[in-house]
Amino acid sequence: MQEELINLKNEAIAQISGAKDGAELEELRAAYLGRNGKFTLLVKKIKDVPIESRKTFGITLNESKVAIENLISDKKQEILKSLTEKREWFDLSMPGYKSNLGHLHPLTQALSEVKKIFNYLGYQVADGPEIESDYYNFEALNTPKDHPARDAQMTFYVDTTGTSLKEGEVVLRTQTSAMQGRVMEKMKPPFRVLAPGRNFRYEQVDASHGFEFWQVEGFVVDENIHLTDLFGTINYVLRQLFGEETKIRFATTNFPFVEPGVDAYLQCTICKGKGCSFCKGTGWSEIMPAGMIHPNVLKMAKIDPNKWNGFAFAIGLSRIVNLRYQINDLRTLTTPDMRILSQF
Amino acid sequence: MLIPLSWLKDYVDIRLPLKNLMWKMTEAGLTCETTKKAGDEIILDVEVTANRPDWMSILGVAREVAAIQGLKIKEPKIKNLPPQTANFPIDLETNFNLFERWTGIVIKGVEIKPSPKWLQNRIISMGHTPINNIIDITNYVMYELGIPMHAFDYDEIYGQIMTLKLSKGGEKFTSVDNLDYVLPENAIIINDAERLIDLAGIKGGLNSGIKPETKNIFLHVTIDNAILIRRASIKLGLRSDASAIYERGPDKGGTVESIKRAANLILEVAGGEIASKLIDLKKEKYEPQSLFLSFTKLEKILGIKIPETETVQILKRLNLSPKKTKTGINCIIPTYRGDVKIEEDLVEEVARLYGYNKFPMTMPQGVVSDRKIPYYFDDSQILNIKNFLISCGYSETKNLSLISKGLIGKLEMDTAKHFRIENPISLDYEYLRTSLIPSLVSAIKINPGEDLKLFEIDKVYLKTGKGACEKYKAAGVCLGGNFRNFKTAIELILSKLNIENYSIDFETNKPYLHQSHSGTIKLGEIIIGEFGELNPSVLAAMEITNKVYCFEMDIEILEKLSKFKLFASIPINPSQIEDLTLSFPPKTRIGDVINLIKSINRLISDIELKDVYKDNYTFRIEYQDPKRTLTNDEVENIRKEILASVKTRFGATVKV
Repeated sequence: MQEELINLKNEAIAQISGAKDGAELEELRAAYLGRNGKFTLLVKKIKDVPIESRKTFGITLNESKVAIENLISDKKQEILKSLTEKREWFDLSMPGYKSNLGHLHPLTQALSEVKKIFNYLGYQVADGPEIESDYYNFEALNTPKDHPARDAQMTFYVDTTGTSLKEGEVVLRTQTSAMQGRVMEKMKPPFRVLAPGRNFRYEQVDASHGFEFWQVEGFVVDENIHLTDLFGTINYVLRQLFGEETKIRFATTNFPFVEPGVDAYLQCTICKGKGCSFCKGTGWSEIMPAGMIHPNVLKMAKIDPNKWNGFAFAIGLSRIVNLRYQINDLRTLTTPDMRILSQF
Repeated sequence: MLIPLSWLKDYVDIRLPLKNLMWKMTEAGLTCETTKKAGDEIILDVEVTANRPDWMSILGVAREVAAIQGLKIKEPKIKNLPPQTANFPIDLETNFNLFERWTGIVIKGVEIKPSPKWLQNRIISMGHTPINNIIDITNYVMYELGIPMHAFDYDEIYGQIMTLKLSKGGEKFTSVDNLDYVLPENAIIINDAERLIDLAGIKGGLNSGIKPETKNIFLHVTIDNAILIRRASIKLGLRSDASAIYERGPDKGGTVESIKRAANLILEVAGGEIASKLIDLKKEKYEPQSLFLSFTKLEKILGIKIPETETVQILKRLNLSPKKTKTGINCIIPTYRGDVKIEEDLVEEVARLYGYNKFPMTMPQGVVSDRKIPYYFDDSQILNIKNFLISCGYSETKNLSLISKGLIGKLEMDTAKHFRIENPISLDYEYLRTSLIPSLVSAIKINPGEDLKLFEIDKVYLKTGKGACEKYKAAGVCLGGNFRNFKTAIELILSKLNIENYSIDFETNKPYLHQSHSGTIKLGEIIIGEFGELNPSVLAAMEITNKVYCFEMDIEILEKLSKFKLFASIPINPSQIEDLTLSFPPKTRIGDVINLIKSINRLISDIELKDVYKDNYTFRIEYQDPKRTLTNDEVENIRKEILASVKTRFGATVKV
């Protein structure tokens, strides 16, 4: 028995010393010291040892177990140490697998950003029809029939055959400003409204013109709204969109539904004002037509212009996307080509 | 509008560097971004807004340039006409519904010849070709003063009578530049005793025009009904410098001066003598109007207080004759400033000359309303759906809303159900789409390759008896992969929105979908959308060789059916999972099998189709009691229930 024990101990020492990793070590611990391990079995056999040598056997057995436990523990440390200090070449330049995620359209991304900015300023989003009446698209905006300002917005007329709509009175909206009359006649001020959407104008298609384009209309009506508030709002929004370094300047313009009328110019983000093909060499890009809401627009919506006033503006969403990504052809945004879409 | 710098300098000094002046003009509303050179001449190109007829003239632009620089304007000196030496009769028949002012004069004995060099140069600098001294002078005065005028050969006015009336439509008219037109209805025309001689406000007639042998002329200005002129010129496609002025509404107070200016120049350049009284028919007196600007209003709109003296100075520079009172300023608006009608217009005048870029910037004070606005729109669910689709590999597109009849036809849809555009830009963009699918299918054509997943979420335009119904839809096309790959995205959207218990109808009413490989997603009777393979005949028409899957779902319905789901606590006890392989007779709806199994016992917590081989279907079933650990016997019992049910309902047998 004593001899068997010595052999077992030697065998264990040999195997444990030769173990290559933690898992093998665990296996060996189970094999020798586990519930059915070889040493554990020997403990059970102790009664078979003659009385006179039982004590010596017992001591040797315990010493062997302790020695093996220590050896396992040392070996474990040794393996861990060698793992920690191991320096072997590993190719970190191996590529991962290609993601198969799709891509979000830049117009969606830009619109989300614009909405976030205006939500912060207390604007609510409105969505209205694109098949619009001549009334909301023009007349409610102080642009009666035959007004020369209509020339700047050549209009698509909708064939009303087969419906109860009035012929010649239904258009594809040329401006999201059409939402002004719709909201104003249904709600008493104060309100702050953002109306994004698709617009249509009869224009021959080229790199800088499309007959469908995206705009975001905004308007505020309250008791004490000033031209300085309009300047401040435009300034805030353009800085949020294009960065604090953005240079902005304002000029007078005329739209029948604003007075005074404002045009906001952004220093060309591409040439930084030097003049390039994006800004037609002027160094500035017309970006946000705006103005104080004309009293006639308020009157038509039955809002008293002596008590209430406000401002309105429009942001060319397609233009913002083009300026940000330096896209020089408007048609890019409506071309469903993966070589374009996968860039966003 | 072109503004030759040398001509402008006749009326105003230019003290600012040209670049600064151009920006100052732009800031003040007279957009001037580009110049061009013609010989030694620098020509400014200005964009004139629809409210400013006065800026359609060199003098009008000069007034603005003077106001910007705070300089005095040098108005052209218009002399009184020499005495009349003969009395050539001319009878003008009035109709004040058609015109507001008609001013004219007869000059006899002129000599038609080329204009002197200085006059020719001015006409050339405006981008036109000199014709003869009389016509060049009428154009010169139009450019100078902004009032269009016309010269007739007096001897070609039969009966010495001119009648202004409306066309009936269909009249033939040959213009002075020898082009033939058929007139629309309600154009303003001038007839003499026998014939049509002028298309008022648009173009003169060839028959009464100035010819080399013309001796006597009738020179006139008519201020006609702007709306009628605009309509006729649009219908004829005849837009001219004159019609652009007319539709903006020229200076009704300036006709006499402009006739005098032209007559004087004619006498000087072409000779001749005054042969009639200066005729001036007018509907009203056209005199400067007074308009009051209150200081309170000015400050309320602008948000700053501009010193009163500065305000007066600005209005003075604009020639608005300001007179300060206690509460505001009284202005006299010259007739050439017909755009200044209300107090707000004066506010703009002050603000724009003060300089928009000198204003401080503030943010609006006031109330952020807690009431929902009309047309309130929350697109957060749309954004969610977009992100679900992106996670399934779909890329977002933005397609045009206008499509062609040809495309609608290729998708086998009914053109009559689409709104048509009366005046399409081309036949490629004639109809408003009623589905997002056609453009997505077209997109397949421009993307080579076997794998493609595209989607769009936007409006479609449905035509109903009442009118238009615009609906947001989510649609996608999918190339490559099999039916189960394709269906993942649809199920993901529905499950993420917590829409449960929907069913699949094995048919659709969409003509572009495959007869048998497409269906309708419904919840009860509510149609959520359609999906499946494209009809092979559509693929053939579109010349697409791959199999194409597509879906279209209604956003509003998805949003309505979407539910908020409460948290279910994690079961403490482990579940039991087992795979069960069943075989089914042909035409078994596996989706229904899964729904049935799910409904058999509340202890079945999940089921998934793991594998399909021929008619053998392997389901992974998870059993779970939230309160305790299920015993093998209990699971065995549920399994027996499952097998019995699928056998009775679907004739399924267990595969061992």
